[in-house]
Amino acid sequence: MKRPPKLLRLGVLVYVSILIGAPLIFLFQQAFRRGWGAFWAALHDQAMDHALILTAKVALIAVPLNVVFGVGLSLWIVRRPSRLTRILDRLVDVPLAISPIIVGLILELAYAQNGWFGPAIAKLGWHVMFSLPGIVMASVFVSLPLVSRQVIPLLRLLGDHQEQTAATLGASPTRILFTVTLRSIAWAVIYGVTLTLARVIGEYGAVLVVSGNIALLTQTLTLNIGANFDNYNAYQGFVGSVVLALVSIAVLLVLSIARQRERRRSEYLA
Amino acid sequence: MLYLSLIVLIPLAALLTNAFNGGLGSFWRAITQTEAIDALRLTLLCSLGAALLNAVAGTATAWILVRDRFVGQGVLNAIIDLPFALPTVVAGVTFYTLYGPLSPVHVNVTGTWIGITLAIMFVTLPFTVRSVQPVLESLTFNAEAAAATLGASSAHVFRTITLPTLMPSILTGTGLAFARAIGEYGSVVFISNNLPYRSEVASSYIFSLSTSGQTNAAASVAVLLLFLALVVLAVFNLTSTRLARRGA
Amino acid sequence: MSISLNGITKHFGKDVVLSEVSDEVPQGSLTALLGPSGSGKSTLLRIIAGLTPLDAGHVELNGRDVTDVAPRHRNIGFCFQDYAPFRHLSVFDNVAYGLKVQRVPKERRKREVEELLGLVRLEAFADRYPRQLSGGQRQRMALARALAIKPEVLLLDEPFAALDAQVRGELRTWVRNLQRELGITTILVTHDQGEAMEVADRIVILNSGRIEQVGAPHQVYDNPSNEFVQGFLGPTTTLDGITYRPHEISLGLSGDRGTPVRVTDVVRLGFEVRVVVEDATGESSWVQLTHDEARQLDPQVGDSAVVRPRSEVLIFR
Repeated sequence: MKRPPKLLRLGVLVYVSILIGAPLIFLFQQAFRRGWGAFWAALHDQAMDHALILTAKVALIAVPLNVVFGVGLSLWIVRRPSRLTRILDRLVDVPLAISPIIVGLILELAYAQNGWFGPAIAKLGWHVMFSLPGIVMASVFVSLPLVSRQVIPLLRLLGDHQEQTAATLGASPTRILFTVTLRSIAWAVIYGVTLTLARVIGEYGAVLVVSGNIALLTQTLTLNIGANFDNYNAYQGFVGSVVLALVSIAVLLVLSIARQRERRRSEYLA
Repeated sequence: MLYLSLIVLIPLAALLTNAFNGGLGSFWRAITQTEAIDALRLTLLCSLGAALLNAVAGTATAWILVRDRFVGQGVLNAIIDLPFALPTVVAGVTFYTLYGPLSPVHVNVTGTWIGITLAIMFVTLPFTVRSVQPVLESLTFNAEAAAATLGASSAHVFRTITLPTLMPSILTGTGLAFARAIGEYGSVVFISNNLPYRSEVASSYIFSLSTSGQTNAAASVAVLLLFLALVVLAVFNLTSTRLARRGA
Repeated sequence: MSISLNGITKHFGKDVVLSEVSDEVPQGSLTALLGPSGSGKSTLLRIIAGLTPLDAGHVELNGRDVTDVAPRHRNIGFCFQDYAPFRHLSVFDNVAYGLKVQRVPKERRKREVEELLGLVRLEAFADRYPRQLSGGQRQRMALARALAIKPEVLLLDEPFAALDAQVRGELRTWVRNLQRELGITTILVTHDQGEAMEVADRIVILNSGRIEQVGAPHQVYDNPSNEFVQGFLGPTTTLDGITYRPHEISLGLSGDRGTPVRVTDVVRLGFEVRVVVEDATGESSWVQLTHDEARQLDPQVGDSAVVRPRSEVLIFR
């Protein structure tokens, strides 16, 4: 096999450095140009702290919801296929192609005070817009397919012989689910969970519309960053950005490990 | 399942009803406003440009990642996913500061199609790379080796054998990138400056319509944008499948 | 445990996969379910295991009707063609799985697993993972895992199909011996007639969902009940409307009595000599000669000769 020309390698490295590397480095430089002290102080800004907590709350609710949904749906689609599941398979991927602003818009149309279900929800004393439930819904929407897109192909590849064997060995359906099925898709689920977490934490447009961007109340970390920039508070915005960038890098690391582990396990499968 | 309909189906239905609330006429009026057309045109052109550029760059990157060996290859492989993992707003504000009025490298592309296209390129690079990479990895060299023994030069082999084999995956990746790009908000809204008729992207326009209370118009333009995204995906995927079938 | 199959019928949509299949499998025997692809043999095996539901008929294990009983309560061991290892578990944990389900205490579990690993000669691999094992080793692990729960019936679905020739031969003999030693009633599905003949006590031949013949290997080979069975079990030659096996016919000099043929190939296979001939209509077949016969006749490619049944052969009706 001939190696590609060195020029190509150089070209790609230059391109990626300028497009991705430079902004990343610049981001860190901007956040730390005033030194550690200022950085630390900025982290304790009241609005940012509140945003951090809110983002964490949203993640803690939205991610498990989507994982349970994603795994359940995947098992259903692969193990009990029907015309309905074929439609569901397509439907689940829809959120990926929708602009985040549109996501926010349609949730508003359906669940705001003057929306379809608005009055019904208000009667129950709940709020969707400008509050946590709405933000959670928006986060769930945009990350809906991320787990199932990882799990479905793996389930298809694995087949169900392992589960059938476990049945002949005396295991009950529940036992099979926990000791065989879930464990065999573990790394794919981890990969999907990580992607979901990244997406939920990083969502901007959809949450912007749904939450109303009210500082100290319904402002997630991403909104906080945006607001800071709009108010010419760039430094504060960069500090928040670095926090998220560090999370993203951690996410990449986990993804990389999950990818390796999964590849090693299924080396002989395909 | 109930979960799915609550989150996806009902809101989508609400969108459709709202868009056509005032009848077909109001829908048509909303999408033919000059501001709408300008925004859509800008969005489509920048997205297409970025997607096409990244089709080339993405394939080249995948090539380097699969067929080359060098120090730092692992880092490159991991960093390609950064635009996937990084929040769009972080990319948006960074690009604005780096290539805007306060640019340390004295490059100011705010409010221009260049700035918007640049931001979109950042966000869409991973799509083509990750689409082409697995196909490239599973490719054996037999066909290429055979061509070489028949006297073809590397360039010729690439053009006539490798590229056609990769084309389906390149198309799928580019289609995904394009569809994602036309809805992009967080990463472009800062550097675009949002000047109506001049540098406003489609998602921004929809947002401004919705915050100013023109919900029906917002819904109409949103429906159009969604429709375009689906058409784009369908076209790219169909062409990709057609090509793949011919090859296989 | 003896197995009793009564009128097993199965449809997949409009296709009839099994039609009124009945058989009595004696305790302690090794029965081969033999047939071409699509004959329904794997489906039948899975119905016996309870992994696939049947549309009509009964399955009885030792006189007990298990037709509506779930696989986990049938006390059977099942091995898939792809071995279906639990990839996320070590070899030890794979084999121990069934024992864990039965809540066998840790100490005894360890002893039994080690014993089984010794039986299948995988003791050194206890802490390895399936991906680190070769095909033959994975198959042995699958067997050990199935045997761990002390099943009364062992069901093997094309267990050797995915292995290369040498490993296949070794493993076949090994399984045959193991089965004899343990005395466990075993059903083995295969499409390879040589395998069935070598390994089984009795062969059940299936074709398009129906049983064509049941009998000991030599019985079905020498006394096939119909043309399908005869053709499926080995190569045949038809002379004067009568079908023979290669060792049932012999070669003679040109002009002698018999069907005129032309020699197109002579293959010396070590223990036999195969003479490939072509008759006047262009049909090709082969004759099996002993070394002595081959030396005497000295057939060469291009020679004219005749083919006739050996005198001691009984003509089947």
